[in-house]
Amino acid sequence: MKRRISIGLAVVLLAAVVVTIIIQSGGDDGPAQPQVATVHGVGGSEKAAFFADERVVRAFAGHGLKVEFDSAGSRQIATTVDLSRYDFAFPSSTPAAQKIQQDKKITTVYTPFFSPMAVATFAPIVDLLTAQGIVRNGPGNYQVLDIAKYLELTGKATRWDQLPNNTAYPARKNVLITTTDPRNSNSAAMYLSAASFVANGNNVVSTPEAEAKVLPEMTKLFLDQGYTQNSSEGPFEDYLAAGMGKSPLVMIYESQYVDREVRGDGSIQPTMRLLYPSPTVLSKHTLIPLKGAGDQVGRLLSTDPELVKLAAQFGFRTSDPKVFTQLVADHKLAVPTDLVDVVEPPSYETLERMLDAIGKQYR
Amino acid sequence: MKRLIAGIAAIALVLTGCSSEDTPAESKAEPGKLRILAGSELADLKPILDQAAQATGVRVEFTFTGTLEGSETLASGKADGKYDAVWFSSNRYPQAIPDAARRLGNQVKIMNSPVVLGLAKSKAEALGWAGKPVTWSDIAKAAEAGKFSYGMTDPSASNSGFSALVGVASALAGTGSAISAAQVGAVTPELKKFFAAQAMSAGSSGWLSDAYQRRATGQDPGQKIDGLINYESVLLTLNASGSLPEPLSLIYPSDGVVTADYPLTLLTSASEAARNDHQKLTDYLRVPDVQRDIMSRTHRRPAIPNVGLTPEFGGQTLVELPFPATQDAFDALLSAYFDQIRRPSRTVYVVDTSGSMEGDRIDGLRSALSGLTGASNDLVGRFRRFHGREEVTFIPFNTTPSQPISFTIPQTGQQAELDRIKSTVESLSAGGGTAIYDSLNRAYDLLASEPDSGRFTSIVLMTDGENNNGTDLAGFQQALAGRSARLKGVPIFPILFGEGSQDEMNTLARVTGGKAFDARNSDLQHVFQEIRGYQ
Repeated sequence: MKRRISIGLAVVLLAAVVVTIIIQSGGDDGPAQPQVATVHGVGGSEKAAFFADERVVRAFAGHGLKVEFDSAGSRQIATTVDLSRYDFAFPSSTPAAQKIQQDKKITTVYTPFFSPMAVATFAPIVDLLTAQGIVRNGPGNYQVLDIAKYLELTGKATRWDQLPNNTAYPARKNVLITTTDPRNSNSAAMYLSAASFVANGNNVVSTPEAEAKVLPEMTKLFLDQGYTQNSSEGPFEDYLAAGMGKSPLVMIYESQYVDREVRGDGSIQPTMRLLYPSPTVLSKHTLIPLKGAGDQVGRLLSTDPELVKLAAQFGFRTSDPKVFTQLVADHKLAVPTDLVDVVEPPSYETLERMLDAIGKQYR
Repeated sequence: MKRLIAGIAAIALVLTGCSSEDTPAESKAEPGKLRILAGSELADLKPILDQAAQATGVRVEFTFTGTLEGSETLASGKADGKYDAVWFSSNRYPQAIPDAARRLGNQVKIMNSPVVLGLAKSKAEALGWAGKPVTWSDIAKAAEAGKFSYGMTDPSASNSGFSALVGVASALAGTGSAISAAQVGAVTPELKKFFAAQAMSAGSSGWLSDAYQRRATGQDPGQKIDGLINYESVLLTLNASGSLPEPLSLIYPSDGVVTADYPLTLLTSASEAARNDHQKLTDYLRVPDVQRDIMSRTHRRPAIPNVGLTPEFGGQTLVELPFPATQDAFDALLSAYFDQIRRPSRTVYVVDTSGSMEGDRIDGLRSALSGLTGASNDLVGRFRRFHGREEVTFIPFNTTPSQPISFTIPQTGQQAELDRIKSTVESLSAGGGTAIYDSLNRAYDLLASEPDSGRFTSIVLMTDGENNNGTDLAGFQQALAGRSARLKGVPIFPILFGEGSQDEMNTLARVTGGKAFDARNSDLQHVFQEIRGYQ
């Protein structure tokens, strides 16, 4: 089976099951079929392609496992999805994972992969924002987008055509990072985590007072965009296919970009650039074993060399940094192996309250 | 190519003719078949979908509808179990309606087409717009000065009109963010300038481009217009058809466009089999070769990277305007458009009250007409009622036409006048013969007695039988030939009903540049609402 996933997170709107990708075992590799146990998991759609990949299927089969993976949004997994049907849950963020852990009273979890949030953009935009002091060189060989400086612009609702000496992109629309819909998508929640940290004077938002203080500014970041898509694949695809005019700055998971680069299918054009927000937030894909062989899946993803290598191929950073470093070297990727300016997201409750408050403004 | 256009037009006609609400037989769910509620412009994908069916074993069964109607069907739950997927030019509108949004599942974008302005080449050159960056404000200024005219679809009926309205409003508001309900009032004066140049409205993109072509070539008596606001794909298709006296120059406003992205969207109520079929079909449609095929056949842009654009698309960077995300903003814009912004309508209803209308028919007519006074207040009905500033006349007829009864809806405080219309139409009663053509002549005489007000003027004819009193069709046509150019350009929208003559109704539509609607197998109210899109 080739990688053919284009899961829209609208899926995410679905409380219960969404897309079941039935993993066919790799085919006819031997007459004596070993005993294979089916394991059911549910998690973010950005991992569906990984579980559907035939090399991944084979690796699990080698351990006597067949994983059936359903896609659902992290917020849904933590709230509305009936987890009794599953052996493991695999949300894309720590806050959602913490909520499930609390609800199910589970202490052992696995964090086999993670991805920093990143901003996909284009060279002329980088030049323009560098001149504004919004983009600068990071501590390593990568560039960062300074969220504090960026919020100064968005606070004044600055349009692109109001930036001085802007001949590259004189669009009559606000300088805004394109995100997904905050009402149902995890990547928007991750963006909110980083932006609210800065808006709160470089502190994780943790009190109702702080929430109230940052919410008006945070709400604008989403509402001013107007219509947003509900899957992280949507805006990234627009970025790849429609280019700078439509989406000059797009909030994505680093893994989405790296995955495309590793594929080497030409979709990453020479003018495309990847920036890291400063600070950024890590989307930590956290596997929570619920029952049965769920635990074994978590362990294998963290320790099986083949599976770890495959995860890196899909652009995920794994707990052994050497694997990603090797991938970066092999494919000459322009991504940092180490990120320094990383902050923690707020607690599940705080994040949910802020997302709900923003969602209520869509009237 | 010419055949393709004619084909599209024919399909669109058939589809709007037998209204979409009444699919003849309930189609059952079955593996290998996707029942899709879709925008009518997707009819041009037929060859692609035929190949897809061969390659994937998944057959598509379309039911066509407009964006608002489709969203309403979704929100009401009527799509659950009846369709497996929806495929509109964008999900922006249903996404803003919570009851529709929660029914949208996995969405996969298939192709793109921005809404832009196409102007006859010589006109674009005369305006100095060829090969130069032009903004929506430039366009609004020229529109206000009467330097060109254009046709656009009704924003409550068709997505291209809806996108254009929202895009133009966002661009003219100049705030750089998605327009909110509160900002609509401020941008209304600018929008009025822009829409002063709109000379034609239509309920569907297909009919609009067909009518443009017929007027450009003189097949249609209506006033020639200089251009169209429509999908880039529709404009390029018209150019490729070779049937225009001169090609359209496409103007891509430098301050931004609104792009349709055609997400093929599974419904959350769909079965597991439909899910698999949806996956198979969308995988196939996004293969690079198929994307290329879609691009060359339908003139829409690919949805995936790595499929290079052909030269016809021009090399411009298209800025995407922010699009509102709330129903409040949409409602405010649409209401302002109909009640304040667009040129108002002048509408004459010539309605049959002969003896054969006795019973259910006259009841149906009464409730259909009173539906247009706001009695039908659903998502669609709200924007298909009589609008502020509109002048409405009823000429009920039997053996002879009755005295015309006229109303003018004020811009604000409309209820009293709407109530008067309601009580008038509810008092219609049946009896006597059928003098169709004397009554139509009466309508033209009435319009002839009025000064040219620059309104969208049209006549709706509803009859359930053959003409058996007064002059006949030939007599009517003879009289029409002697009328002024302005009156010759007034279209008739005949409604086929009961035992009315299909041939004569079609002839009336053809010779006046109108369009016939079929209410024999569908709800009369729905047909009256649909006609509103052309007025």
